[in-house]
Amino acid sequence: MDTKKEVLSILKDLTSEDLSDKMDENIFANGLMDSMASVQMLLNLQDKFNIDVPVSEFDRKEWDTPNKIVAKVDSLRNE
Amino acid sequence: MIKDVIKKIDEVAANDPNRIVYDYLGKTNTYDDLKKRSDVWAHKIESLDIPAKSPIMVWGGQTFEMIASFLGCVKSGHAYIPIASYSNAERLTMIQEVSESKIVLAIDKLPDVDLSGIQVVKPDDVKDGSYQIDQNKFVEGDDNFYIIFTSGTSGKPKGVQISHANLLSFVNWELSDFNLPQHPSFLVQAPYSFDLSVMSLYPALTAAGKLVVLPHDVTQNFVQLFQTMPKLQFNVWVSTPSFAQMCFLDKTFDAKHHPNLTHMLFCGEELPHDEVATLKKKFPDAHIFNTYGPTETTVAVTQVEITDDILKKYDRLPIGRPKKDTKITIDKSKGDKADDGEIIIEGPSVSKGYMNNPEKTQNAFFKQDGDKYQSHRSGDEGFFDGDMLFYRGRIDFQIKFNGYRIELEEINHYLDQNELVRYGVAAPKYNKDHTVKQIVAEIELKDGIKRKYSETVLTKKIRDDLAKNVMPYMIPQRFVYREKLPISQNGKVDIKSVIEEVNK
Repeated sequence: MDTKKEVLSILKDLTSEDLSDKMDENIFANGLMDSMASVQMLLNLQDKFNIDVPVSEFDRKEWDTPNKIVAKVDSLRNE
Repeated sequence: MIKDVIKKIDEVAANDPNRIVYDYLGKTNTYDDLKKRSDVWAHKIESLDIPAKSPIMVWGGQTFEMIASFLGCVKSGHAYIPIASYSNAERLTMIQEVSESKIVLAIDKLPDVDLSGIQVVKPDDVKDGSYQIDQNKFVEGDDNFYIIFTSGTSGKPKGVQISHANLLSFVNWELSDFNLPQHPSFLVQAPYSFDLSVMSLYPALTAAGKLVVLPHDVTQNFVQLFQTMPKLQFNVWVSTPSFAQMCFLDKTFDAKHHPNLTHMLFCGEELPHDEVATLKKKFPDAHIFNTYGPTETTVAVTQVEITDDILKKYDRLPIGRPKKDTKITIDKSKGDKADDGEIIIEGPSVSKGYMNNPEKTQNAFFKQDGDKYQSHRSGDEGFFDGDMLFYRGRIDFQIKFNGYRIELEEINHYLDQNELVRYGVAAPKYNKDHTVKQIVAEIELKDGIKRKYSETVLTKKIRDDLAKNVMPYMIPQRFVYREKLPISQNGKVDIKSVIEEVNK
């Protein structure tokens, strides 16, 4: 499974925007995502990649750009 | 059957003074504390020079002092207006203007706001003591008990007046029809300015139960939320469906970690089928209820337990059967589909109307000759299958977003007022569960604006301007700039077609 492609597809579903040329854009600062949308994103990522996101240690700063999300998902998949 | 909410709570305090009533992150208070503190508040309010029965604004979060001051208001014959302390200053000013309230109880620190002519009473001004409050002064019958302000289409919030009789009808129904445990302990997650909180508050207090608080700011932060939640123990879960979905993120949200949880009550927005299926796996023995009701009819007026059979039978879940004292009819002259129509609710829990707003009251409420009770036009579209009511959408531009009730036209009103904007339309974007997942602002700018600013700067300017006038949950997530928005025959922006376009 192509992590980047799937992450972008989940983000597109949530924000209605194609972020493929904005991989380093902060999706919280520009208002595209709020806390409820990030819940949905994490639920979708858990489903899609069968990963376990440690939410009680969730730090938004580690998840605030498409590139960071891809990196996070990859590291969780390899655990 | 309870006959008087306030007297019943005092009775619990007299019989069982040391029973815990409030648990705020481990800080507990007893029924005796509640009796004493509410009497002190009532005594203080009686000493103030304000008109009899005039409403009192209460600004704060979800601490014990909030509910003590609410009871202090109603014990001294005044309705209270709860205002969450995450609101902006403008909200407080607008509520003051509409309600003409002359006093605010500042349980939390007030925002920087001009309050000339308004008395401010702080908890420190209310010294502990022992006072006898005359029961004849208690709010009763058709007198207002609380007034909750909701979004209004013209930018002015509407104050829904709920009387003691309204509240009594609701509380007796919840205590009889949900088969709740003895001394139920309720989760309180919703702020008190949101009537979902009433689903926990008065049923708990009148049944000698307990309120277990999960404060708003904790729910806004995952780390805090998922560290706090497993420590809270309660029998009755009360929340919006979207809040419970958020909790799915944490592995400890299950029967193993919440062994006392026997009942789950949902209200405030559509309950998705998938969500109940997941809940049944996590809490196999819990009774899961869907409920429905506008704030105007006191929290909720229909309920149904979502059993395995119902889950199998329906893709889109029913909202339930009306409570015994209430009659629901479908006005088929309204709405788009043949079998659907507007849900009309008649019963003793229907509000007398919006405070100081005869025009809006007349549009949404009526009482025909021979009717025993007031009726409310809900603006919700639905239909009956046998005795089971189903919800299908709105006949106007009101939405529910993460449980919050929003008039899209209120957002439009403030977008249009912005000096950069010619027309602005806030459009809900729905997911497959028919739930709003995002609000998109579709904007047509005034001439020359687009050349002057980048879209990022424009969005920041418009967003900041909105934040001054509307609640934080009403600010659109996305801003889209259009050359032209569609105009309908009457010369106004065609909101329906903008919404259709956003959901294509």
